[in-house]
Amino acid sequence: MYWNKSCECMPREKLLELQLERLKGMVNRIYHDVPFYRNKFQEAGLVPEDVQTLSDLQKLPFTTKVDLRDNYPYGLFAVPLEKIVRIHASSGTTGKPTVVGYTRKDITTWSEIMARSLVAAGADSHSVVQNAYGYGLFTGGLGVHYGAEMLGASIVPISGGNTDKQIMIMKDFGTTVLTCTPSYAIYLGDALEKKGIDPASLKLKTGVFGAEPWSDNMRKEIEKKLKIKAHDIYGLSEIMGPSVAIECDAQDGLHIWEDHFIPEIIDPVTLKVLPYGEQGELVITTITKEGIPLLRYRTRDVTSIIAEPCACGRTHLRIRRLQGRTDDMLIIRGVNVFPTQIESVLLELGEVEPHYQLIVRRDGSLDTLEIKVELSEEMFSDKISNLEKLEKRIGLRIHSTIGINAKIAFVEPGSLPRSEGKSQRVVDLRKI
Amino acid sequence: MIRQVSIFMENHEGRLNKLLKILAENDINIRSLNIAETMDYGIVRLILQETEKGIEVLKKNNIRCTSTSVLAAEVPDEPGGLSNLVDALTQAKINIVYAYSFLPKKTDNAIIIVRVDDEVQQKAIETLEKTQGVKLLDAETLLMK
Repeated sequence: MYWNKSCECMPREKLLELQLERLKGMVNRIYHDVPFYRNKFQEAGLVPEDVQTLSDLQKLPFTTKVDLRDNYPYGLFAVPLEKIVRIHASSGTTGKPTVVGYTRKDITTWSEIMARSLVAAGADSHSVVQNAYGYGLFTGGLGVHYGAEMLGASIVPISGGNTDKQIMIMKDFGTTVLTCTPSYAIYLGDALEKKGIDPASLKLKTGVFGAEPWSDNMRKEIEKKLKIKAHDIYGLSEIMGPSVAIECDAQDGLHIWEDHFIPEIIDPVTLKVLPYGEQGELVITTITKEGIPLLRYRTRDVTSIIAEPCACGRTHLRIRRLQGRTDDMLIIRGVNVFPTQIESVLLELGEVEPHYQLIVRRDGSLDTLEIKVELSEEMFSDKISNLEKLEKRIGLRIHSTIGINAKIAFVEPGSLPRSEGKSQRVVDLRKI
Repeated sequence: MIRQVSIFMENHEGRLNKLLKILAENDINIRSLNIAETMDYGIVRLILQETEKGIEVLKKNNIRCTSTSVLAAEVPDEPGGLSNLVDALTQAKINIVYAYSFLPKKTDNAIIIVRVDDEVQQKAIETLEKTQGVKLLDAETLLMK
């Protein structure tokens, strides 16, 4: 089943022609409408006319999350705010979020690729889609929502959390499609078991899970616990949100919607483009986006491209399940967390040179974050109540910055590892 | 007023041992010890025979510590002996943040260390100076006891 067969199964030649035409248009737009890109082109001695073939893309400059931060909040928008109908935000590397804007056409595009993705995962207009992704600044909730509406399915916008209610709705509303983070899917499966509900007695058929890394083992667990087929969905707000790529029934890589995005894999060190099949950092160029078109955006996600044709008939390239990150970003319960965000909170609270470490664990199916903070002289008090107050204050500030409850643990000075690199600031004990 | 040394320690085996070894190696005698613990950490509160030297040694060993002003009071070692002191502070509406006893060598009386909030410390001193059966001690006197 396809949502838009002529696009999804477009012969490669035609697809590449379409990409080139759209890429040229996109380069023209950003050159003329986004001063940031015009400067970048001029610095590199490039003009839009230098793009004559798809491989010319390799000559063009990259865009990074730092560029988005430097141009916070609207600096990279290619249209006046008047044309923007929606603004989403995701974690930035410091206290400030990464802001993206969508025109009406962008929302239509997003809904279209989400509808395609839902159909690829087995949904149709008869489906009852229980959307347990969070609604809000995060793109997960509204992304699935608009796609499901375009598809004509019945969307239940329950948002995340409240497991008892999730299960009640799943039973009573006859949910057929579940959308949430994979760890929450496992959590729901466990909750069903505890309540003595046989998943086979439910109408659940399929699930679309993303926003955090998962593995084939987790897939098996979800499929067993919920008696469904579990599909991986990929996306990031900078590019669009969920549905940049989706796993079809073949469950062998995620089709990236190439009529809207051009994927490349680069070596994160040399920044050279790698051939299909080789693992490296995924770079995406948005070729139809109006609000905030991004040229060669470095996703920091590690994967490889599968160029072989897929059994499902879709001609769009596939990317492998994500293998990791080229930076120290963590994904905890679907939320992107950068260690530097924690640092900015500690600096804000008056710490001069904070030493801290993030420890992520998986308790059952839910991720927990512990932040160890070396107690500085200024923080220390002989009164336990003062330390508890400080712990609470840090916890609240961190919650308001990253949206996650973290356990704050004070540790002795010098007890955390010192390193030149950043890696030791994060200890990820999750077995995914 | 007495200077107590307050030390931050993680709540794990071996931490206190490390602290005590450092003090022993530097020939610093502990006159009194109190530990307040939470699940993750504890605060060790010490009255040292040589406070300055103690703090210097601890800081040199990168141990998080601070000095805190506390009161020391001598009360009769008999039923109700401590009650006079607590009663007087209660009457004056002064909260005791924490208290613990000090082991004297040369008196039969009991000695209690009391921590009150900094802003009411002066008031606490004035109150206890007027309280019968309570004798406030200065550092020199305390460490001689």
